[in-house]
Amino acid sequence: MKWELPKELKHPIDVATVLRKRRSLKRELLEQPSLVATRIAILGGSTTAEVKSMLEIFLLAHGIQPTFYESEYNRYSEDVIFENPELWEFKPEIVYLHTTWHNVSQFPELLEGDAEVEQRLREEVGRFEAIWEKIQSKLGALVIQNNFDLPSLRPLGNLEGSAVYGRIHFLMRLNAEFANFARTHSRFLIHDIQYLSAQVGLNAWFEPMYWYSFHTALSPTATVALAQSLAAMVKSVYGKSKKCLVLDLDNTLWGGVIGDDGVQGLVLGRDNPMGEAFQSFQRYAKQLQRRGVLLAVCSKNEPETAPLGFTHPDSILKLEDFSAFKANWNPKPDNIREIAFELNIGLDSFVFVDDNPAERALVAAQLPEVAVPEVGSDVTRYADVLEQERYFEVDKIVREDLSRGSYYSANVQRNVNQGKFKDYGEFLTSLEMTAEIAPFSPVYLERIAQLINKTNQFNLTTRRYTGAEVEAMAKDPQCLTLYGRLTDKFGDNGLVSVLIGRVARETLEIDVWLMSCRVLKREMELAMFDTLIEQCRARGVRKIIGVYIPTKKNGMVSGLYGELGFMTMDESTAGQQMWQYEVPQDYQAKSSHIHRTSSAESVASGRT
Amino acid sequence: MTRTEFLLEMEEILGLNPGTLKGQEKLEDLENWDSTALVSLIAMAESRSNTEITLDQVVSCSTVADLLRLVPLEGQPN
Repeated sequence: MKWELPKELKHPIDVATVLRKRRSLKRELLEQPSLVATRIAILGGSTTAEVKSMLEIFLLAHGIQPTFYESEYNRYSEDVIFENPELWEFKPEIVYLHTTWHNVSQFPELLEGDAEVEQRLREEVGRFEAIWEKIQSKLGALVIQNNFDLPSLRPLGNLEGSAVYGRIHFLMRLNAEFANFARTHSRFLIHDIQYLSAQVGLNAWFEPMYWYSFHTALSPTATVALAQSLAAMVKSVYGKSKKCLVLDLDNTLWGGVIGDDGVQGLVLGRDNPMGEAFQSFQRYAKQLQRRGVLLAVCSKNEPETAPLGFTHPDSILKLEDFSAFKANWNPKPDNIREIAFELNIGLDSFVFVDDNPAERALVAAQLPEVAVPEVGSDVTRYADVLEQERYFEVDKIVREDLSRGSYYSANVQRNVNQGKFKDYGEFLTSLEMTAEIAPFSPVYLERIAQLINKTNQFNLTTRRYTGAEVEAMAKDPQCLTLYGRLTDKFGDNGLVSVLIGRVARETLEIDVWLMSCRVLKREMELAMFDTLIEQCRARGVRKIIGVYIPTKKNGMVSGLYGELGFMTMDESTAGQQMWQYEVPQDYQAKSSHIHRTSSAESVASGRT
Repeated sequence: MTRTEFLLEMEEILGLNPGTLKGQEKLEDLENWDSTALVSLIAMAESRSNTEITLDQVVSCSTVADLLRLVPLEGQPN
């Protein structure tokens, strides 16, 4: 039987039910296959037992199994500054600082001037910065820091928000300073509880009796909301956010039926309230698409008719915004499977939105990996439901994300072109590919760390490394690092491959080798291997050890080392296959369709 | 909500097998009776009985029977 997310954890979440069932939910969630382990230290400025309990549930729901360290009550600062040995031995991958406005150590006095308030602000920010910097430099962990919620009581009334000595004004300035730190430091994320508390509502966010009884800074409702939000951030760090939004057309992206009503008959635009609501939903989808979420259409319609809807003058979305387009009369689960194949991403990366409950039920039943939110049939609620589920949480946006849609659109064009050639080699030649393959460069470290932590399929070892570890390997003379960028006549595919080898005397062991699936079957792996051999020969390396660690998702590379001419080693086990390769004196390059270069200029000035 | 339903849901909160609680148990003797269980119990009791229950009321209870008296139960005098 296929594993499915318990319905209690889908929107709308009933807080009382989740609290009551948390033990049975945990048992059920632990049964799912392929959980990713992580270590999270929760350093609290208030009691964190409930936060930990709920966070565990929501992380498990995302396939992440946490082990926790929990600081004593309000010891978030001391644990770090005085290097609590328990925390250091725990070796957290993530440190979550669960502080709230109650933990601000000083607020301005009434009628204090700019200079005094500025001094307080610097001291308060400095106190937190000392914690963050120590975590990053000594523990090497990713930091997730709450910004500040706002107190519900306002002794100064509206002046709290505008007077320089107002508490709310002070908290807003602190939040701006925290955000500034996040902008200027990698591996530091702000968990925006200012927004979250506003979403929950300040009166529901904080329960004085819980504070006075247990020093719990959040109500049960707020605890569940916070855990869900925080888990989404962690999910994003582990590359488990959804990648593709699959949309129905009729009564989902516009009102009416394109096949019956024609373009002019569609309800779309500012002429009526529902038309405006459909337009707003399109705008939301467009915003997701612009930041890197792939859009696809899956609609029961005539293939010639459906695209016409996007010619409507008030349509925000245009045909070119979609990376895949399925308008036909086939069952929707079949179409979604085809979209997954075309885009080369797993079904667990999809969210399906359809106003028709029967279609939603069919997809949910046949494709349990696909997220199918209960959006109802009211377009005014669609975006809100998607937001509540936090499917597309993102921890950072890099340049590659912005043009991701175009990679896939170009891929569709590449696939169309493929049919015109007599053989695959001729097709590859026609792509006029150039690869920039070179040792890690500081400008690419973020993207490299992102790929290391997100790539599952073409990944020989699925070893994950933090940004700091990647940076250290880039500087380590015992490491041989390579990144690969690929450009072709249809566009720039971006940085798509990473290889890290560890050199000991005349042997190099490949620790990480991965490639984005968007460039599968383009011989990019051969180009990477060719450069690896060149680098090995330059360093006097005579033998290469390749490791393949099988996972549920990386079966596609199980035979890679064999295909490259490696010989299997006796040390191989079921959990780890070892291969070896003697570097030949007369090596012949294996990639014949990619022009290789090690300079950025060659690619930048290449054919785009 | 009946007495049996209340006890079943309390057992679920505490991770006990159904039928474990008889009603006379002291709360301090229950293995998983902690602040998280207490918060969960209030949320459960309020949502199932449509009655506001304060933390103070629950904290003042020493037995399961005391808790049962906080909630209007079907078939039970209040």
